[in-house]
Amino acid sequence: MFDSSSVAGPAVTVRGLAKAFGELDIIGDTMIGDTSAPLDLDIEPGTFVSIIGPSGCGKSTLLRVIAGLEPATSGDVVVFGQSPQLARTHKRVAMVPQQPGLLPWRTVAANASLLLDVNKRANPVDVGDPVRLLGAVGLDEFVHAYPHELSGGMQQRVALVRALALNAPLLVMDEPFAALDEITRAEMRVLVNRLVSGTGVTVLFVTHSIDEAVALSDRVLVSSPRPLRVVADVAIDLPRPRATNIEDQPRFVELSRSVRSALREAMQA
Amino acid sequence: MKSKTIVAPIVGVVTFLAVWEFVVRVFAVRPFVLRAPSRICAYLWKHLDDYAGAGWVTVQHALVGLGLALLSALLIGSAMAASAFFEQAAQPVLTLVQVTPFVAYIASMVLWLGPGTRPAVFVVALVCMPAFAFAAVDGMRGADPASRELLASVDASRWEVLWRLRLPAASPSLFTAARYNVGLALIAAYLVEGGNFANEGLGAIGKRAAALNEGNALWGAVFAMAIIGSVMLIAISLAQRFTLHWHASQRSQQR
Repeated sequence: MFDSSSVAGPAVTVRGLAKAFGELDIIGDTMIGDTSAPLDLDIEPGTFVSIIGPSGCGKSTLLRVIAGLEPATSGDVVVFGQSPQLARTHKRVAMVPQQPGLLPWRTVAANASLLLDVNKRANPVDVGDPVRLLGAVGLDEFVHAYPHELSGGMQQRVALVRALALNAPLLVMDEPFAALDEITRAEMRVLVNRLVSGTGVTVLFVTHSIDEAVALSDRVLVSSPRPLRVVADVAIDLPRPRATNIEDQPRFVELSRSVRSALREAMQA
Repeated sequence: MKSKTIVAPIVGVVTFLAVWEFVVRVFAVRPFVLRAPSRICAYLWKHLDDYAGAGWVTVQHALVGLGLALLSALLIGSAMAASAFFEQAAQPVLTLVQVTPFVAYIASMVLWLGPGTRPAVFVVALVCMPAFAFAAVDGMRGADPASRELLASVDASRWEVLWRLRLPAASPSLFTAARYNVGLALIAAYLVEGGNFANEGLGAIGKRAAALNEGNALWGAVFAMAIIGSVMLIAISLAQRFTLHWHASQRSQQR
C-alpha cells in the first residue's frame, strides 16, 4: 500500500475554493462583497476524513473537484503537491462511486483490474493484486462470476477492490454504501476499517450516515446546506483498529451525538 | 429448454407449409397464382447444384456488404457519438438512405460501378449502414455514466473509453440491427443481382425465371432465399447468445 503519511505536507489542500454552476453556488459563496465565504480545507496524509451534510449540499461536487473531474470556479486545490487534473492523469486518486459502475461484460476479476487496465503508463510500480484483494473481501469464489450474479453488497465490494488495487495515495468515496441495506452497510464498514486503516492511504468519504462517518473516520466535517461550507470539524478519537462493536461504545455514542447536533445547527442556520 | 427452442420454430414452419399445401390442393389453386410447396421443394431439390452455387454468390454479396456496413457504421457512429454537430449533420443523410427506394437507383449504381460484384456489395453496404449507425450511436450514448466517470478519473484515453466501454455497451443494439439488416441485405443483393448483367446469384435466376414465366424456377429462388435468411438469422442468434451472455435479454431466454 502507498504510504502517503511519508509525504511532506498535507494530502489535500483547498484554498478559497468556490464552485458554481451558472448562477448556482455549489461550493463556497461566489457572491461578491462581504458575504463571500469560499472553502478552505487541509487534509493530513493518512487520515480518514468524512464529509457529512444534507442532500444536495455540494459534497459530491467537492469530491469531483478534488478528483479533477470538475474545474473549480475560483480558488486552488492541491492534491499531493499537484493540481487535481495532474493528479488524475498520474492516477493518484482512486474513486469508489455511489453506484458500483461494474461493466456487465467483464468478470469480477476483470472489473477489479479495470482501473489498472486503462492508461497503463501511469500505473504506479507497486500496484495491488486485484485477485488477492478480492480474496481479502471474501469474493474468492466469485472471481470468474459476472456482476449480475452478485448481490448489491458484493458488487460494491468489487468496486472497493477496483479502487484499492490502484494503490493510489488518495481514495475518494462518494456515498458508496448509500444503496445498501443496513446489515450490508455494517459489514462494509468493518471491511473498510480493516482494509484501509493503518495503510497510510488518505480517504475522503462522503456520506449521509452519522454512524458510518463516526465509525470510519479520524475527522468528520459537517457541511451546511448548499452552498457547501464546513460548519463543524469533529475529531474522532476512537482507538484504531476499530472494534466491530464500536457502535455500542459510550465514546461512539457521545461523538455521534455531537456530530448530530452540529448537523442540526447547520440545517437551522 | 434447448429442445423446445428448436422444436417450436420447426413446428411453426411445418404448420405454415402444410396449410399452404392444403389450401392449394383442396381449392385447386391454379399454379400461376400459387403453387404447392411440395412442387417447389421438388424442383429445388432437382436443381440443387444450380441453386447452391447461386445461393453462395448471394450469401457472399450479403455478408461482405453487411461487414462493410458494420465497419463504416462504427466509424460514423463513433464520430456521431463524439460530436453533436456531426450527428445532426449525418442524421438526415442516413435517414435519406434508409427511406429512399434503393431499387430505383440500382441501374445507376451498375452503370457507375460496372457489372458484377461491386454494385451488389456497395448497395448492400449502403442500405444496411444507417440501421447499424443509429444502433451504434444509441448504444454508445447509453454507456453507464458512472463507468464513464470512473474511466475519466484515471484519465483513460478516448480510444480506451471507446474500446473498453462504448463498443461493448453498443453491442446489444448492434445485434438487434443485425437481425433487421440480414433480411435487407439479402433482398438488396437479390435485386442488384437481377440487374447487374453478371448472371450470377439467386437474383439472376429469379429475374430470368420471371422474364420467361418459369414459376417453378422463380419460387425455387424464393425458397432458397428463405432458407439462406433463416440460416443467417440462426447464426446471428447463436453469436448473440455467445457474446451477450451477460446481457439481460439473453438471461431471460435462459430461464
